[in-house]
Amino acid sequence: MRFSFFLSEAFGSMRRNWVMAMAAVITVFISTAILGAVLVTRDNLNQGATSLKNRVMIEVFIKDAATPAQTQALERKIQGLPDVKSYKYISKEEALRRFRERFGERIVANLPINPLPASYEIQVKNADRVDAVAQQFFSDPSVDNDPGTHNGVKYAKETVRKMLGTISLIEKGMWVTTGIFAAAAVLLISTTVRLSIFARRREVEIMRLVGATNWFIRWPFVLEGFITGLVGAVLAAAFVWVGNWGIANWIQSSQIDFLSLRVFRMWWQGGTWPLGLMPTLAILGALLGAVGSLVALRRYLKT
Amino acid sequence: MIVFEDVIKVYDPDVVGLQDFTCHIGKGEFVFMVGPSGSGKSTLIKLVLKELVPDSGRILVAGRNLGTLRKSRVPLLRRNIGCVFQDFKLLPNKTVHDNVAYALEVVGEPRRSIRRKVPEILSLVGLAEKTDSYPHEISGGEQQRVSVARAFVNHPPLLLADEPTGNIDPETAVGIMQLLVRINRTGTTVVVATHDRDMVNRMRRRVLQLEAGRLVRDERRGSYDQVTEEVGDAL
Ligand SMILES: Nc1ncnc2c1ncn2[C@@H]1O[C@H](COP(=O)(O)OP(=O)(O)O)[C@@H](O)[C@H]1O
Ligand SMILES: [Mg+2]
Repeated sequence: MRFSFFLSEAFGSMRRNWVMAMAAVITVFISTAILGAVLVTRDNLNQGATSLKNRVMIEVFIKDAATPAQTQALERKIQGLPDVKSYKYISKEEALRRFRERFGERIVANLPINPLPASYEIQVKNADRVDAVAQQFFSDPSVDNDPGTHNGVKYAKETVRKMLGTISLIEKGMWVTTGIFAAAAVLLISTTVRLSIFARRREVEIMRLVGATNWFIRWPFVLEGFITGLVGAVLAAAFVWVGNWGIANWIQSSQIDFLSLRVFRMWWQGGTWPLGLMPTLAILGALLGAVGSLVALRRYLKT
Repeated sequence: MIVFEDVIKVYDPDVVGLQDFTCHIGKGEFVFMVGPSGSGKSTLIKLVLKELVPDSGRILVAGRNLGTLRKSRVPLLRRNIGCVFQDFKLLPNKTVHDNVAYALEVVGEPRRSIRRKVPEILSLVGLAEKTDSYPHEISGGEQQRVSVARAFVNHPPLLLADEPTGNIDPETAVGIMQLLVRINRTGTTVVVATHDRDMVNRMRRRVLQLEAGRLVRDERRGSYDQVTEEVGDAL
């Protein structure tokens, strides 16, 4: 069949019924934008959750007075724990360097001595085992505990686990939202296409009358739906991308409390998303449009 | 060309479209179908196009039995039948030229032959001047000529016209009818459903008269109304 004829029919009809075409584009735009936003947010949350899980870290601070033998004993103890994924020794000098990096030269310059303790940073294999591992160091003689406490062992306890729980709950909610909006998009598009075909039922009638085959009748409509869906979805993908980029930029440049900034930075991953989400959205929109047309045409092509 | 044998068509719930309808229309004939509104003329035309399927009976068009014609072949059937309707059925957003060309695009006619055939048929129906006009820019009579041009551009062996002059003033109607006669002279079978008493009486062609879905008169050189012996004598 003659593709250029179908294409000019499709474009001609979109130009003539431009209000309808606009409505369809906006419909696709809104539903794919929401879908895209949900997917991106979900993705960011996922990354955030992964980072959080990786960050379930125990810091064990060492007394300045601890002997080298005590420190070595501590290290052997860490090595011996099966739940430990990795660990790292942070010397007093390293701790000061990090402190200087974070808070600036001025504060550090006035210090007569280095007040920061050396420490071990321990990564745990499974976030659920943090408590058990941390407890091993509560009464270790080399640990910098204040008398009667175990504040020389620092780890994110309830907060992290609550956060992980919240993230997985939000994620489940997002899957449901994604499903609802995908269904809404299909419904909206097929309704829009049905309206557009209803407005053109005379055209379809004449096509049938002069002996057009069903596929000949379908092609311009399907093409129209395809183009409409593609335009709406590409706009939506661009919109979501710019939105994500803007939010990530804003979070990074804002003077929010450094802890939450860290969390947000992890969640938004500097405004990138896995390559392919944009083409996925575009193809999805185009297919939605084409399938919507086909579904809407069915009842007009019965006989 | 058209054979109806004991055809019954009843619409839901039980409105009679055609009842025990039998008739033969030969190749190359020019036939008028007359009868009051609701007598079944449009139903017959739709049955020939296989837009409707009869409840019983047999319909043959150009030797093909429509009862056994596969759905996928219906477009091919329609390409061999030209159609003209009371309301013209033109696409309002296409020019005169494009409306006619449409019937050729649909059958996959090469562009070159479209460029040749469309002006040819438009000058045949006297619309060479109006090629680039849109339907709303020309008169009803001219629109109907476009519709006739579209119906005939493929040179189909059969042309059906359902009240083609119903929306047109009488003088213009004569021109349309003459066009149909010229088309008939090329060998195309022409069937015209009409209310136009004067036209039928003037032309003296075969007349099929329908009444409530039944064929009540089939006259070779008939007039619109049945003329009894006495009335005929009195005239
Ligand atoms: N789609 C339909 N549904 C129900 N009844 C119909 C339908 N089309 C036509 N009829 C009925 O069938 C009868 C014949 O109609 P039609 O063939 O259109 O007559 P004509 O063309 O001679 O005016 C009429 O009584 C009409 O009301
Ligand atoms: Mg009628």
